[in-house]
Amino acid sequence: MATTAPPAETTTWSKEDAKAAKKRSRRMHRKEHGWAAAFMAAPVLGWVAFLLFPMGFSIYASLTNWNGIGKMTFIGFDNYVLLVKDPYFWKALWNTVFYMIGIPIGLAISLALALALSRKIRGRTFFRTVYYIPVISSLAAIAILWQWAYNGDFGLVNQALALVGIDGPNWLADSTWAKPAIIIMAVWKGMGYSMLLYLAAVQAVPRSLYEAASLDGANGWKKFTKITWPMVQPVTFFLVVTNIIGGSMIFTEINIMTPTGGPEWSTASLVWYIWNKAFRNLQMGYATAMALVLGILVLIVTAIQFRINRANEFSID
Amino acid sequence: MRKIKAAAITATMVGALTLAACSSGGSSGNASEEPDTAGGTAANQLTFMFRGGDYDKLAYQAAIDAFEEETGAEVKMIITDADQYATKLQAAIAGNKVPDVFYIEPGKMMGYVYAGVLADLTDYVGQDVIDNIWSFGTDAYRFNTETGVRGDSADPLYGLPKDVGPFGFGYNTVLFDKLGLEAPSADEPMTFDEFVALCKELTVDMDNDGELDHWGTGLNVVWNSQAFVWGAGADWISEDQKTVTVDTPEFAEALQWFADLGLVEGVTPSVEQAQTLDTYQRWMAGELGFFPVAPWDIATYNEKAETDPENFGYDVIPYPVANEGDDWSTWLGSLGIAVSENSANKELAAQLATYLSTDLEAQKILAENKVQIPNLIDYATGEWIETDAPAAGWPANTKAFLEIAESKGRPLPGVWTYTPEWYDNFWIGIENVVDNGSQTAADFVASKQTEMQSLLDQSWISADQAKVTG
Repeated sequence: MATTAPPAETTTWSKEDAKAAKKRSRRMHRKEHGWAAAFMAAPVLGWVAFLLFPMGFSIYASLTNWNGIGKMTFIGFDNYVLLVKDPYFWKALWNTVFYMIGIPIGLAISLALALALSRKIRGRTFFRTVYYIPVISSLAAIAILWQWAYNGDFGLVNQALALVGIDGPNWLADSTWAKPAIIIMAVWKGMGYSMLLYLAAVQAVPRSLYEAASLDGANGWKKFTKITWPMVQPVTFFLVVTNIIGGSMIFTEINIMTPTGGPEWSTASLVWYIWNKAFRNLQMGYATAMALVLGILVLIVTAIQFRINRANEFSID
Repeated sequence: MRKIKAAAITATMVGALTLAACSSGGSSGNASEEPDTAGGTAANQLTFMFRGGDYDKLAYQAAIDAFEEETGAEVKMIITDADQYATKLQAAIAGNKVPDVFYIEPGKMMGYVYAGVLADLTDYVGQDVIDNIWSFGTDAYRFNTETGVRGDSADPLYGLPKDVGPFGFGYNTVLFDKLGLEAPSADEPMTFDEFVALCKELTVDMDNDGELDHWGTGLNVVWNSQAFVWGAGADWISEDQKTVTVDTPEFAEALQWFADLGLVEGVTPSVEQAQTLDTYQRWMAGELGFFPVAPWDIATYNEKAETDPENFGYDVIPYPVANEGDDWSTWLGSLGIAVSENSANKELAAQLATYLSTDLEAQKILAENKVQIPNLIDYATGEWIETDAPAAGWPANTKAFLEIAESKGRPLPGVWTYTPEWYDNFWIGIENVVDNGSQTAADFVASKQTEMQSLLDQSWISADQAKVTG
């Protein structure tokens, strides 16, 4: 008997004991859980306070007639209807989209620079620093300098073009050339940042892949297209996404270089238009509607990019 | 799950970057450095939010010290960068932290009054005080909330002037002497023809190298065409502020004349030349005969005249008019001092606003340092114009500034309407008229009329809505 099942009391005790132990453990971890919850609550609260609430507020504001200082009057979707009919909204949106041309150009130049500067060449640290300086320089100061550089008569850009026999346009005063002028400036300003990220990505590509490719007789172009380019794709994806988001919010350079929106409004970006509507023309409700449409457009474009990127994902076994 | 994760990452990324962009554009400091703009709560506490340079601070500190001593009040000064002031004030209002006393632009006044932000100061400011301020300085802050009419001396007063800023016209005295030209009259305006004739004489190649060294003038159309359009009897808007009037023949003629200064007469630097060294710099370098002169320029112009007397000297004259006998005018700016409707100490705040606008010592400091002409008529037209202004280095014909403040000054178009969008629209495409001449002024104004009128109508609709909703 003694060797068979343990006495019933023992079983009962064990259950209680387990329960008590669990209770003790729960009590012991309660404090820990509390701290964990507190740590988790901080970003959640921050997200609610600084993202969710403002977004909810913005959505409501976009449905109101609001001058930004007085009371809001709910008007349904009137602001959105107005937006569809507003030629300046479409013009500003077109200008903003046009500025995106600079993204692939900038990335191509950055990658080329990164490839060049990843080689052991003389003065590469110097060049890396030089290319990065615009990134850390004040955008306002840079915009003013480029304004001078773009001068039609004696500007640096046209002087350089004159050396090769090209009679440069009056960049910022010409409705055809004002947007390209701003794109060139933006590419120059952002190039160093993209270059640095590409540089890190290029240097992280395992050498063994190139060695294997060499053994298989691959030339430089093949190595670039089959190894380097796919390997730096995550960085390209990151840069495209962030550049599109950043590019859609282009404002400072427009406001400084062409404060009235440029010749025939050719440089007015959407954020510049939104800012004018909100703070100069007391149409905060309408401006918020435009801002939300811009946000949604950026969200859609970014989501499409994520989808395309997923389709192109690969891994090295 | 992956889709949700991707969507969440996307949304967070977009949101975070949007927020980052907004914050970076808004302020140079971090949030913890933002001063509390809320009005004082204790019986004697006031906050005063303003923008300005060192001299403004110096003058207002003197006025506030005197005010504190006289009333026992405690005034907290909040000074912001000029380019951030309007945005910060709007944020303070939206956040219900309105300072007791603050600067207000006359162009934004209507919205603020309808929103119940501004206190009616009519009963707090004595008639004797008002009578001693330039009428434009007070009329710019008067507003009839029922009719939407601005500038009528019988309407409620929602602010007092920090200053009135006459946008005068001047000439380079040294260049005139150098070329042996007779100086323009300090009292009588030139006609447009006389002005062009003089400009032609001023446009010369001094060293015969084939390049012009001096020009008659070089005027930015956005800031300088008003005086010439008004001088030709035209205007952007009707007196009741309800009809856009740019499509009149006299308007088109005046604008074409202005454009032809560069395009036909060739008396201004070309667009490219103006871009290389803008016309302000060329004026300072002694290359232009005529250029605007305003009180805020005086200190810089004096310094230039002192350091480069061989090329630069200046004085103020009336703006040219189309025909002999026409009345000249120019625009007159202003910045106001308003009181919060919800101030816990409204009467004391109104007293402070009055002090800041009219304290003699503060006015003396501001005028002595060439920040502004005095607001006080008795001081400006007496002791100041007779002795203080010449002693401080104001130009010989400073009385032209006083004349503008008294009777020749007008608000910029768009300042007295609910929003200036209709007026801003006029400048879109103006380069086709004045820079490259691809469009005539007549075609341009005809093409602008409908759109500007529609925006003006919208401005009135918005004003009516604001009147109802607050």
